[in-house]
Amino acid sequence: MEFVLDQLIAFASSLYTLASDPLTYLYLVASVFLGIVFGALPGLTATLAVTILTGFFGNKFPLEQSLIALIGAYVGAIYGGSYPSILLNIPGTAASAATAMDGHPLAKEGRGGEALGITTTASFIGTLFGAFCLLIFVWLLLLVAKNIASPEKALLALFGILLSGTLMSQDLVIKGWIAGLIGLAMAMVGMDPILSEARYTFGWSYLLSGFQIVPVLMGAFAIPQILDGMRAAVGGAAPLPVGRIVPRLREVMRHFPGILRSGGIGTGIGALPGVGEDVAGWVSYGVAKSVARDSSRFGLGSLRGLISAETANNAAIGGALIPLLVLGIPGSPPAAALLGALKINNVIPGPTIDPALIVHIVAILVMASLTMFLMGLFTARVFILILKLPRTVFLPVVLVLTTIGSFSVGGGINDLFLMLGVGFAAYAMTAMKYPIAPLVIGVILGGLFDETFRRSLLISDGDLSIFITRPGAAILVALNVALILSQIPAARRLVAACLPKSPAIGKD
Amino acid sequence: MDDKVGLRARDFWTSLILIALSVTFLWQTSLLPFYDAKAAGVNSAQWFNSAAIVPFGIFGLLLLLAISLLTISIRDGGATRALRSIGINDRVELRRIALLSLILIAYIVGLVPRVDFVLASGLTLTALTYGFHSGRTVPMALSAAFACLPAVFAVAAHPFPDEWAKPHDDDAITLAAWIGLTVSMFAIESRRGAIDRVIKATPLVALMAPLILVIGMAFGFRQNVPNRTGLVFAQIEYHYYVTLRPLWSGD
Repeated sequence: MEFVLDQLIAFASSLYTLASDPLTYLYLVASVFLGIVFGALPGLTATLAVTILTGFFGNKFPLEQSLIALIGAYVGAIYGGSYPSILLNIPGTAASAATAMDGHPLAKEGRGGEALGITTTASFIGTLFGAFCLLIFVWLLLLVAKNIASPEKALLALFGILLSGTLMSQDLVIKGWIAGLIGLAMAMVGMDPILSEARYTFGWSYLLSGFQIVPVLMGAFAIPQILDGMRAAVGGAAPLPVGRIVPRLREVMRHFPGILRSGGIGTGIGALPGVGEDVAGWVSYGVAKSVARDSSRFGLGSLRGLISAETANNAAIGGALIPLLVLGIPGSPPAAALLGALKINNVIPGPTIDPALIVHIVAILVMASLTMFLMGLFTARVFILILKLPRTVFLPVVLVLTTIGSFSVGGGINDLFLMLGVGFAAYAMTAMKYPIAPLVIGVILGGLFDETFRRSLLISDGDLSIFITRPGAAILVALNVALILSQIPAARRLVAACLPKSPAIGKD
Repeated sequence: MDDKVGLRARDFWTSLILIALSVTFLWQTSLLPFYDAKAAGVNSAQWFNSAAIVPFGIFGLLLLLAISLLTISIRDGGATRALRSIGINDRVELRRIALLSLILIAYIVGLVPRVDFVLASGLTLTALTYGFHSGRTVPMALSAAFACLPAVFAVAAHPFPDEWAKPHDDDAITLAAWIGLTVSMFAIESRRGAIDRVIKATPLVALMAPLILVIGMAFGFRQNVPNRTGLVFAQIEYHYYVTLRPLWSGD
């Protein structure tokens, strides 16, 4: 209890420092606005918003200020995706796909304003819930993380890539794993981290430092959206009309237990390495439907369904930051972009991270969620107007944004060529239903995996049993193996055959 | 069902490409020192510390997964379809993607390294918005032609990096192409009847978006911007430091 109190005092102090600086409001309002716009425009994502801002801020600004902008955009974009989901039945981001299930039917009933109001409140409480969990659990995990050595880190990185590949695949699971392996392979380019041996550089000096994260992120997330989204857009979209947006307190209180449950699910799913806000939204929606006394309204305009998805996807933000800050393993694709920003500012997340930075990030999350809440309630009509923008107008501007952002971070034309190459490859992969998130997670975690795997073998003098003799590593090996076996039909059949059969229901 | 077979046909070709890539990179990895790696000139590295061990694992696994994908695609009938066609039948979609890709390549490979950023972006924004807003073939082809011509000239006239900054002939040609495309756009659209609001706004967006961005990046965010010696940006930078800055710095 004393520990929690200490945490809250440190957080209050950081929040006061942040709130008393006028610059904070300038960055917050601008970045949350930009984030909501990115979320609201179908085709633009939270990852892209964070990546573009990373390109703008680079390492020329104090990290504390850059983080306000990046986290503000992250929170805004995850929330902003709910606008087109509710009013157009088109999810603005993958994270708000579950929102459309009940949001749009509500809007068609003329309750669009009510849906937006309750979504805004649920997103606000969800973000606060995730931030609170980050504040408390990150310290407990940091204590554990001090005992995490190279074998565990290597296996955790592998688990993140495998899990992301498994959960993000829309077609065959092996496509997700292939995407993760391609990402890992890309991370092998350049000087190796232990012996400084040049790998796959083909005599090109640019490749000696490996693929830069920001151009890879820009290419992977922006170019496919531009190529896919530039279709005929005569007339633009016509959002459904909305009424009163500010929700009634009684309505919010009625759904409060559901909000807390969804917040817990969202934070938990977000904390899994490589799994994003979209999975959190769907899992929470599924749980809400299964525990509801009357689930017949789900999919037809249920406020419970809407709240469960929206609370969870925003709560996943705090959750996704837990493995990022504790282990340097991002919990979601936007968190991966945030890791890129931290790295170019020479901050290496992990057990040695500055504790003040974690408290500062929690304070920013709280301020950003409050800004999002106020903007969502009082300036929602501005964002509804933005929905009318045709893609053929904003996607070309995004191309220019990503080009200048990608160039600015590295300061070289080669980064633009890399962005374009990765973009075309990512587009081809998307068209063939390969998920892109595992590829990006692979690129980001590849260096960590390579270094920690070899360091483990170095410690054990080449003895592979180091991965099973340490308790933590053994658990992670078991998790990795179980994850792989769970996707192999023959292994599943074998497990099913070994398990005792449950008695048939309804038969004598 | 038919869509799934089409997808498996594409998987068939993809798996073959992945197998070829895996084998190529396994061979490339075999060129890295494995048993006799040296660190700082000293032969102290072992096989388990070699720079090749993780890549061997990655490309080995990739090869296995690619073979699995090939097996699945053959089992699901993808191979039969793949041998008749590549599984892509939508010619309109192919044309759209091809023209879009051409414009992107012209912009990033040809124009941005050599031409003033405002001019290059203005032309590309106009080409993309006008070309793809209506979905008609003529605007698409016209936009791609106007975007590619200055890019081809820039690459042909100034192929090497040491020539990218100085001459402004490619800037002038890009500006001419931008004006030409804008005039053609209005001429074609007015002949068709009432001009769409998006088309009317295109020149303004095409000018203001890159202008605001480049000024914000260079003087607000203090970041590097492409082609600082370009026709327009050189003037902006000159007047920022010589005309405007003394006003508030008191020099």
